[in-house]
Parts: sequence; C-alpha cells; structure tokens
Amino acid sequence: MAYLSMGEAHRRISSYLASFSDAIAAQDGGALKPLLAVSSSSSPCPLLGVADALVAFHDWPRLVNQSERFSNLGETIIPLLRSLQSYRLRRFADAYASYEKAANSFLQEFRNWETPWAMEAMQVVALEIRLLAEKADRELALNDKNPEKLQSAGSFLMKVFGALAGKGPKRVGALYVTCQLFKIYFKLGTVHLCRSVIRSIETARIFDFEEFPAKDKVTYMYYTGRLEVFNENFLAADQKLTYALTHCNSRSRTNLRMILKYLIPVKLSIGILPKMWLLEKYNLVEYADVVNALKRGDLQLLRRALQQHEDQFLRSGVYLVLEKLELQVYQRLVKKIYIIQKQKDPSKAHQIKLEVIVKALKWLEIDMDVDEVECIMSILIYKNLMKGYFAHKSKVVVLSKQDPFPKLNGKPVGS
Amino acid sequence: MQRRSGKGTYQSPLPSSSDANAPRSHGDDHFSPNTASLVGTCPDMCPAKERAQRQRLRDLSVFERVDGNPKRTSPDLAVKKFCRTISTLDVQASDMRPLPVLQKTLDYLLSLLDSSPYPFEIVHDFVFDRTRSIRQDLSMQNIVNDQAIHMYEEMVKFHITSHRKLASCWSKPDVSSLCYLNMEQMMKCLLTLFDLYRINRKSIKKNEAEFHSLYVLLHLGCKIPKMGESLSLWYRQLSPSILRSEQMRFARTLLRYSQLGNFKHFFALLASEATDLQLCLAEPFLNEVRAQAILYINYAGYKLQPYPFTHLSKILMIKESDLETLCVECGLETSTDESGSKFLPAKQTSFCLPKAGFRTSSSLASEKV
Repeated sequence: MAYLSMGEAHRRISSYLASFSDAIAAQDGGALKPLLAVSSSSSPCPLLGVADALVAFHDWPRLVNQSERFSNLGETIIPLLRSLQSYRLRRFADAYASYEKAANSFLQEFRNWETPWAMEAMQVVALEIRLLAEKADRELALNDKNPEKLQSAGSFLMKVFGALAGKGPKRVGALYVTCQLFKIYFKLGTVHLCRSVIRSIETARIFDFEEFPAKDKVTYMYYTGRLEVFNENFLAADQKLTYALTHCNSRSRTNLRMILKYLIPVKLSIGILPKMWLLEKYNLVEYADVVNALKRGDLQLLRRALQQHEDQFLRSGVYLVLEKLELQVYQRLVKKIYIIQKQKDPSKAHQIKLEVIVKALKWLEIDMDVDEVECIMSILIYKNLMKGYFAHKSKVVVLSKQDPFPKLNGKPVGS
Repeated sequence: MQRRSGKGTYQSPLPSSSDANAPRSHGDDHFSPNTASLVGTCPDMCPAKERAQRQRLRDLSVFERVDGNPKRTSPDLAVKKFCRTISTLDVQASDMRPLPVLQKTLDYLLSLLDSSPYPFEIVHDFVFDRTRSIRQDLSMQNIVNDQAIHMYEEMVKFHITSHRKLASCWSKPDVSSLCYLNMEQMMKCLLTLFDLYRINRKSIKKNEAEFHSLYVLLHLGCKIPKMGESLSLWYRQLSPSILRSEQMRFARTLLRYSQLGNFKHFFALLASEATDLQLCLAEPFLNEVRAQAILYINYAGYKLQPYPFTHLSKILMIKESDLETLCVECGLETSTDESGSKFLPAKQTSFCLPKAGFRTSSSLASEKV
C-alpha cells in the first residue's frame, strides 16, 4: 500500500459518503450499485482507493457521525465501510460479519421504498453476501474453525426473497435472489433446501415466469435442470436444460459449456448422440469415448471411459446416468451382429445364437457366459430395446422380423 | 428436541470438513451447541427420578420388572426411555448418563437380543426404544469421539440384524410397521455415524468404508424411506478414498446390476464378495431381484421352451421349493415334466407383485450349503 496522506484519506472517504448519500436522495440505483460491491475492491476500481483510505485513517467513523447528512445512514454505512476495511486487510470472516449487518440494515430501508429503484443495488448486495461468505468460510476452515458463513448468507437471502415475494413491482427481482440461493445450496450440498424456493416461484400466483429477466430465467432453468438430472427425471431435465441452452447468450462460452456438460448425458439417455465437433468446440471431450461406445456397441470402451473420468463424473453427478447407458450399448452390439448376419444369409439373420454374442463380447475383452448373455437378452426384450424372444433350450435369441431394434425416440429406456 | 428443520439454521461449534458441509440434524441425533458443556452424572441405566415415576405409573416393560411385578423395578433392570419432547433447556445433569454408563447400557441391551426367552419382536421393540434414548443422551452431551463411533456402529448393526429377522416374521401383526420404523432409525443412525466420521476426519476409521457401503446397499429396495437426497448428490461429498474403497466399489457395482436387471451377475457377485454385514442387509431385498428376474424371463422367454427350475434356482441362488413358492406368490403357474422336474412356462399374463411383500424366505442359497 502506497503511503496515503491523512488529508487525501479524509477526502476520499468524504467523497464516498457524499456519493452514497446523493444516490439515496436522488433514488439513483445505478449510482448506488458500485458503492456496495465490496469484493470487487481488489481490482482496479474506485472502491480500492476508499479501502486504502479506511485502513490509513482509523478514526473514519467520526466522519460519518459528525455530519447529520450521513449519520442517519450510519446503520448501513458504518458496517459497510468496516467490511470494506476488513476486506482490504484480507480479514474475510470479519468482512462478512460487517457486511451482513450492513445488508440487514439496507434491506430494512429497501422494504420501505415503494418503487423498485434500488433493485439492482439489492442484487449487488445479494451477490456480494454470497461471495464474501465463500471467502469467509475458506478462511475459517483453514484456521480449523467452523465454516458457517455461507449458511448465514443463505438465511439472509431467504429474508430478501421474502421482501420481494409480494404483489408489487419488486417481485421481478425474486428470480435473481433464487439463483443466488441455488448457488449457495449447491455449494453447501444442502440441495434439498431448493425445494421450497422452487415451490414459491412455480406455484405462487404473484409470479409470472415470463416477466423475469431473461438472464435469470436461463440460470434458473440450468439449476432446476441439474436437479432433475440428480433425480434422473430425464424428460424434465431435457426440457429445462434445453431451454437454458437455447436462451443462453450465444457469446457466453463458459455458460454454454456448463449447460452442455449436463445436457449431453441427458440426451444420451434418450438416445440422442451429439456430434464430435460439438464436444471438441466446448472442450467436453470426456464424453467422446462414451459417445463412441454407443455408436460402436463397445461395452469395454464405455467401462473404460467411466473409469478414466470417474472422479469428474462423480463430482458433477452424471456418473450414474452414464452407467445406465450400458443397455443401449448392448443393443447396438446385438444390432451389429444382426446386420452382419443379414449380409451373409438374410433368411436366417433374425436368429442369433447366444454363443455368437459371447464370442463378440470376448473379442471386446468382456468375459460373459451364456447365462449372463441370456439374462441381458431378456432385459433388452423386456425394456423394448429389442423385439423378439429367447429360447432357453436352443440357446438362441429370435428377433422379430419387423423393427427388431426400436429406437428410443426421445424417451428414456424402459418407459 | 428440535425437529429436523428444513431451513438448516442450526449451527455447530464443532469443526467440520473444509467444503463447508455442516452436519445436518437427523431427528434425535442432533448435536446442540447450547448444552455442549453438559456432562451427565446419572450412575444407573435409568435415572432414579424416572424409575420412581414409572414404577408409580406402572409404565415398566417386561424386561424391567423384578420377578414379573409390574410395579417394581431395580437399577439393574430399568433402562431410560426415549423421550420425544425433551427440550435442551430443562435437562439436568442427574438425568443424563455419562459415556461409561451409556456404554454399559448398550452392552446390556445388545446382550438381551440373544438371551431373552421373549419373541423377537418384543425384544426388538424394547432395544429399539432404549437405544434411541442412548443416542439422545450422546448427542445432547455432544459426545463425538471414537467410542461414540463404535457405539453407533453397534446400533446400526442391531438395526440391520433386526431388519433381517423382522422381514421373516411376516405372519405376525404390526411387523410391517415395525420394519418401516426400524428402517427409518437405521437411516438416521447411519447418517449420524457419517457425521461422526467426518468430525473425526483426521484419522480414517477401520469400518468407515463398509458402513458407507451399507448406505448404498439400502437403495436396493424400492420401498425404503427416502430420507437422504439422491445417491448422485451423496457421492459428490464423499472423499475419494472412501469412494474407491473395495466395499464401496462392491456396493456400487451390485446396485448397478440390480438396477440394470442383470440378475445373473448380481447373485454371483453378492455370493462371492459380500461381507457378513452387507449380506445381512441385502438379504431382505433379494426376493425383489428374483421377482424381477422371473418377470423378465416370463416376458421374453419362448412359449415352447419353459425354463427349467434346476437352472433358474442356481442362477437366483434360491432353493427349488422356494422358487416354486415365489412363482406362485407372483401369480405364475409352474409346469412339471414326466421325470418330476419343474419348469416355468413363459408368456403367462398373470404376473403380479405381491402387495404386502414376499412371504418366501429371502436367504441366499449357495451351493456350499
């Protein structure tokens, strides 16, 4: 930190106070917004200068209290500046605690303002409280203390949600807060808490989903789509993640990639394969072998792909979805055998000896006996991936002459 | 006692893992920071005050009565009951049992399971309630050390063996609700045990992988009370060493075979790799897997080639006589040839899963027997 004269520090803080007060008086949300963004004070921006000033001039609360113009904003401004000061000194747990105080006071004022002029500022507060909580928890964990700030941030945001969930014009901000809550719950692993906010958004009559800003709708669909993936509701997941994909800003590569990361396994489950260029364009090549396994009927390739990227797939929660693709791989394998037989002798192609399938699997380095192959055949038939029957004594599977390998047609296996 | 709330506002002073996954309250197993300093002083299995009160009200279990007298108990027989409405504010140290007494109580309760002349459901009911009280005392005193872990492991084992025994008592009334309640407590106990492992994360516990695998195996049954979130979510917060452990791999693979319907590999894997505890837990679910196998074979088989029982019973690891009963329970007919061998004819339209659960024995009949 460069040396700062007391005079200069004094000037910066007074200037900040004036901007804050003017913004509130003029109900200028755009001017108020940047004054609340504590965590961005580490990058080159006006707040950085103020932060340095606070650290240099310890007695700054006096500046707030001695002027009547600022002292009635004191309940918000003093903890806010304290937070900024702590953040500058990299004391994140303290920064969070102060910010939460400021945020609570700000929320009270926000409730009293009738028009939604401060909505963007409120949203900055919602974002900041999460970011500060994340940093605070990391600091606490490193010092072997209990990381509970993110949980507190969640509680605070529920209060904000409550303030927005009314008939007035403020309600369009509710989806943004919902998305911040989703991010918190996903990070904490308390995903079940999403249920109550989702219920409020989707069933309360005050909310009309179409009224919300487009960006918020995309984020909302992304998270609720991911929840459907966790619960293996593939049709609902497809619908939500596809919405997110089609409405997402086409220039936002990171967001598109995040959506595709979950949409691809869902599409695979309903029999739709992405083109290889898509995987390469968005750097999702961990799915390449899975797609190839489905195309070729190569069970060994699928298993190896799952093993190779196991940690990644488990962490993102798609592992169990990809595991279930095994049945479609078996279907493809039997179909290939059928096609080969058809070329040799079309009249006998629909009868496949189980031994032939055993040999094909052995060639793929999979060791399965006739009993297990018979078992798989019965599953494929039951789940309508194959039409026909198996004859136990003759050890053969007899396929229907018409459409023996029905396509999934956008529906998950077995439905 | 605070009920499991949906808002997660409880805070624990205990250090938890760095990914901020604070322990959740699981009903009675709720670590309350306010009474963290409370250390029990009750020297007996049941506080004297409660003993006197229950004697007066004739509220004594058969196991607590001296010479069968419903109005008399003793410090050697009375065990503290589980109390649903305890508030942490009015608890006194004299009502709480310290760790050594809790251990003694648990050992006594578990010994009743093998030695009592009473029918199993009655012993189970008593041990069920009294172990719940032990868990309550442990959590109210915030006892989270290795000994607590060991005690929770023993209680989970109790619920597992009870589950298996109760599942075979289908003919007695009220057993299905006992089964359900037992399963519910087993889940809570397991989830709290996982919290304890996490709190004591500095050293890996011997049985940690096996007990995690039990949670996976509980998903074999389709009717289990869904108390946790989906497995996909649960896996996300497990450490890689647990996920890659032999027991977890086994459980995950077994579950995969069961969900895919690969009954052949399911039974083969279960018979070759399951530990005693894993087998005990999986057993009550085996008939569900077998019924599914019969369903597939009936649907996909060839009408002119009925499936021989000798073969099917080997694959499904069930005695031929039990296989026949199972088919009948599922609404299917069996056929017999000239030499007396039994078969399952295919394409029957009367398949129907029995609503009240299976009555056939669910045990694993391996060729070693």
